[in-house]
Amino acid sequence: MAVRIIELRERVMARNDQLAADVRQVLTDAEVTAFNLVSSPGAGKTALLERTLETLGEELDIAVVTGDVQTQNDADRLARRTDRLVQAVVTGGACHLDASQITEAVKAIDLDHTRLLFIENVGNLVCPAAWDLGEAAKIVVFSVTEGEDKPLKYPAVFSRSRYAVLNKVDLLPHLEFDVPTAIANAHRVNPELRFFLTSAVTGEGLAEWFDFLRSQVRPAAIW
Amino acid sequence: MHEFSLAQEVCRLAEEVLEREQGVAVRGIGVAVGPEAGVELESFRFCLEALLLDPPFTGARAELLPAPGDTLRLTFVEVDDGRPDH
Repeated sequence: MAVRIIELRERVMARNDQLAADVRQVLTDAEVTAFNLVSSPGAGKTALLERTLETLGEELDIAVVTGDVQTQNDADRLARRTDRLVQAVVTGGACHLDASQITEAVKAIDLDHTRLLFIENVGNLVCPAAWDLGEAAKIVVFSVTEGEDKPLKYPAVFSRSRYAVLNKVDLLPHLEFDVPTAIANAHRVNPELRFFLTSAVTGEGLAEWFDFLRSQVRPAAIW
Repeated sequence: MHEFSLAQEVCRLAEEVLEREQGVAVRGIGVAVGPEAGVELESFRFCLEALLLDPPFTGARAELLPAPGDTLRLTFVEVDDGRPDH
């Protein structure tokens, strides 16, 4: 048998990154700002989105793509607050969304009437970091019940996010969590990371989060 | 466990090379992996070796090569063209 060695320099992520670039172009052309929300399970992505949709869903023409793995729970919760929800096709056990799923999901969204798009990734701080979905920025959500060293344990997702939401701050009186230490740890990994401190339960800190989102979208058209 | 998705993509790329080179089987593949690629090496190796059990990879070996930064590249494919040795 003749075996030949074919030398290559083929990037393993090349196909995903090309699809993501195509998604980014479509969203840019439509002037839709897309955020990819990543977090560990239970940090409060869905609760944060619920509060955001309640207050800004109509004002900012928000659409949502969600990628819950095994259940309809997140989709059902969000569907009570918006009719602009698209479920990504996620096969059981998948640990992240990829750009091909977003390509399909974006086709189902009326981009002319969308100014802000949230992609709620699968709850996982490791895998989603590697997949570009065509978003304007990743937003990492973590909570004060998780430990100040989370950014050091999961540097990839913190270094590839532009914004961080530290959620559940209403629980701080009951915990030994030190907010400045957590923020310092995150800034060791990514000095540019901008923080929002929120409680999706009490509403603390949400006004700043909402103002930030308002600043990120194109002006509303006059219909 | 995104290592499995990455291993699947490596195998897909290797199959493309096999087709392009008009070979009959892949005997080995090399992947360069950097420390910041977000890849757990043993998990990645496990997934690759599992996928390489099936045709057209039967018997193929996986070589993981150190690389800088967040490198994640397919660096070689050993293609068997099915013809007798020259």
